[in-house]
Amino acid sequence: MSAQAPASPPSPGGPTGSSTEVPLFYRRGFRNVLQQAIYVAATAIVAWYVYTSLDLREFGFGFLSDPAGFAVGSQWLIDVDGVTNSRLTMYLVGVWASIRAVLVAILLSTIVGVVVGVARLSSNFLVSKMAMLFVEIFRNTPLLVQVVLWYAILLVGAPIIQNVVNVGDFFFLSNRGIAIPWPVPSGGLWGVPDWFVGVWVIALIVAGLFAMRVRAARQERERETGQTHYSNRWAFSIFAGAALISFLLLGVVVSIDRPIIDGTQYAEGMVVKPEFAALVLGLTAYTGAFIAEIVRASIQALPRGQTEAANSIGLSGYQRLSLIILPQALRQMIPSVTNQYLNVNKNSSLAYAVLYDDLFRVATVVQNKAGHALEMFFIIIVTYMLISFAISAVMNVLNARVTSHRL
Amino acid sequence: MSELPPIPRPEQLPLPQPPGQRRIVLPPHRERARRPWSVRAREWIRRNLFPSPGGTTLTILSAGFLGILVAGVIWFVFFDANWNVITANRWLLFAGSFPRDEAWRLWTSIAVVMFLIGLAYGTWSSLGRRDSLFIVLTGAFVIFLMAHGGAAIWSSIWFLVAIGLLYVGYYLTIWMPRETSMRRVWQQRVVGGLLAVSLPLVLIILMANGGATTRQFDGFVLNLILAPVGIVGGLVIAIPLALGRASTMRTIKWTCTAYIEIVRGAPLLGWLFVALFILTDVIGDNLIINTMVVLAVFTGAYMAEYIRGGLQALPSGQYEAAQAVGLTKMQSMQLIILPQALRISIPPIVGQAIAIWKDTTLVTIILTLRELKGNADSAIAQSEFIPDRIEAYVFVAVVFWVVAFMMSRVSQRLERAQGIGER
Repeated sequence: MSAQAPASPPSPGGPTGSSTEVPLFYRRGFRNVLQQAIYVAATAIVAWYVYTSLDLREFGFGFLSDPAGFAVGSQWLIDVDGVTNSRLTMYLVGVWASIRAVLVAILLSTIVGVVVGVARLSSNFLVSKMAMLFVEIFRNTPLLVQVVLWYAILLVGAPIIQNVVNVGDFFFLSNRGIAIPWPVPSGGLWGVPDWFVGVWVIALIVAGLFAMRVRAARQERERETGQTHYSNRWAFSIFAGAALISFLLLGVVVSIDRPIIDGTQYAEGMVVKPEFAALVLGLTAYTGAFIAEIVRASIQALPRGQTEAANSIGLSGYQRLSLIILPQALRQMIPSVTNQYLNVNKNSSLAYAVLYDDLFRVATVVQNKAGHALEMFFIIIVTYMLISFAISAVMNVLNARVTSHRL
Repeated sequence: MSELPPIPRPEQLPLPQPPGQRRIVLPPHRERARRPWSVRAREWIRRNLFPSPGGTTLTILSAGFLGILVAGVIWFVFFDANWNVITANRWLLFAGSFPRDEAWRLWTSIAVVMFLIGLAYGTWSSLGRRDSLFIVLTGAFVIFLMAHGGAAIWSSIWFLVAIGLLYVGYYLTIWMPRETSMRRVWQQRVVGGLLAVSLPLVLIILMANGGATTRQFDGFVLNLILAPVGIVGGLVIAIPLALGRASTMRTIKWTCTAYIEIVRGAPLLGWLFVALFILTDVIGDNLIINTMVVLAVFTGAYMAEYIRGGLQALPSGQYEAAQAVGLTKMQSMQLIILPQALRISIPPIVGQAIAIWKDTTLVTIILTLRELKGNADSAIAQSEFIPDRIEAYVFVAVVFWVVAFMMSRVSQRLERAQGIGER
């Protein structure tokens, strides 16, 4: 169209510039290659320097299959000893201990975070100020100090086992830990072995998942047709029926084991050791404070009309929160909360400070016995990444479910 | 149609108010504010504490809980706790094996830093009365409580000098002209330059000419050194990393992404494990240097992600506009993109700074470097203080809390003064 267009000089290095007129050095493609070449060369030099300064003569993972030669104190449902079991087995026991602590801490910190975050926005002056106090105290104190402080309180502050605090023979507290009742398999109806209880638990989980599926489907129908489909009743009946039938089929009997005190030891029941309790308390309070801030910010980000609309159709305070506010705030919360869960995973390595044998502590003990620091570090980082990956995979599924929901 | 209201007769109309007593009718919220304070206080209490039976129950329950908590804290602090473990170990907690003859180096560094903080505060924000009170109280708490061992008079005098310098620095900026933008830029460059040299300057004051060696950095002093090194070093690493991850060149993008993800994949303790067992082969035997490197590398990966967030938050029009006015890539980064991206990412960067401040405690457990928490461990290892674990750790927690809380408050003020987070 325009007669001037061909006459205008080509922009140097631009996509339309004819390459014959631009010197090689100024061409974009050449520049790209040159810069990347320099960069790769510099990186390679640094990598080569690091590689040559490391002692790699004995690099290899064979040392993991040797007998461990040490014991771990964080066993649960697993029985290992340092003589016959390998270092790898001990490490896996440590991984299992870490996962336990992380799962409990994630669960508790979510509860604490949501409660405190909602309380922070309460119209009640005292409640909101107390929530603020909680957040400011636990967010701005080093987690390590919190964990060792909880440990000190549980060891020094709690009574010795001779003066144990006994709540109705159900709950014991002393400096040897907290003992609570725990279900254990105790013989079967038709003489089935104890491990059938595991099968039963799996059956219950499957039944629960199926019941939730049915509930969701029936709710969907209800939304589409407008007729009531009794989703909750259906779900409950399916779950209860499946539980009963599988119980009768498998014939396992579970009894609740009350803790008792045998001399200076707890016997039976479930004993939460001070190390585990200190770690989980620290992680819960610290992460709970962060999650509370996330919950508060997500609720405050909602348009005010949501609260007003909920009020105007006559919902109660609890209904407003659970039906209108939290489900919407959840969408915004999940990415940040996932980040906090990943932090819980990494922060669980502070178990080292209270001598709870988590994966990091077991790894350092192995390194202490066998050397091979580089290999051990490689294993540590891969384990943490795998756990992080599992957490974010679960949270991504949750996120997809929450955000795909229709309003 | 027959239900129309009757037309009022003149004597039924409201009488006009007599002149002189006429009351100006204000909007409802102003009306409420005009009532006496006792009525307003009663109203406030009723609305915020006793709105309904449920609310009243909640208030009573939480007041009871708070009462028990406060009573417990008072009982612990004033009657149960034995604070001798702190008072007897002030110097150990503050500087540990730092040579006492060289203590003047510490006081000088603190005074220099206080002066620079005052200068920076005056340049970027205005000092409210509450802030200055808070800063003074914080300094008083941290330094006065810990640094009394041995040279009581001198440390007190130096403390007063340091607080004085804070105000000198602050009021110096008041005399700086504020109107033209070029002058403002000039001030910020000068003050920014001073802040940038402050860390090397402090290290020189501490170490030059027969001062302390790095191995003698100890106690709270070690925390005070490690955290800024981690923060500054982290920022220095983070900016090229963030740009590299946003780059279009594949090799650069992939290596930067790998760096960030690998560093973020393992906990800081794991990296300190590297500092102890692997970096000793690569860098050298000085654990403090290795720790500084690890802290910078670790912080850098996190900060790079925040800066990348800032880069992505910039509207693409900024990039295009920079290109349109003919800036080179380098120029547009320096003049247009980075200043805005960094401004957006200041709040999370400060959050990371607070995190690294808290994480300096971790060097105790795997490297057995004696920072404040590590020296608290050695204090309670003394035979007479073995039962006083809780007191020692409470003290450590409070010291860290005060500094972290102050950092978060100052950053909030700076954000407000700079209008960050507003559009």
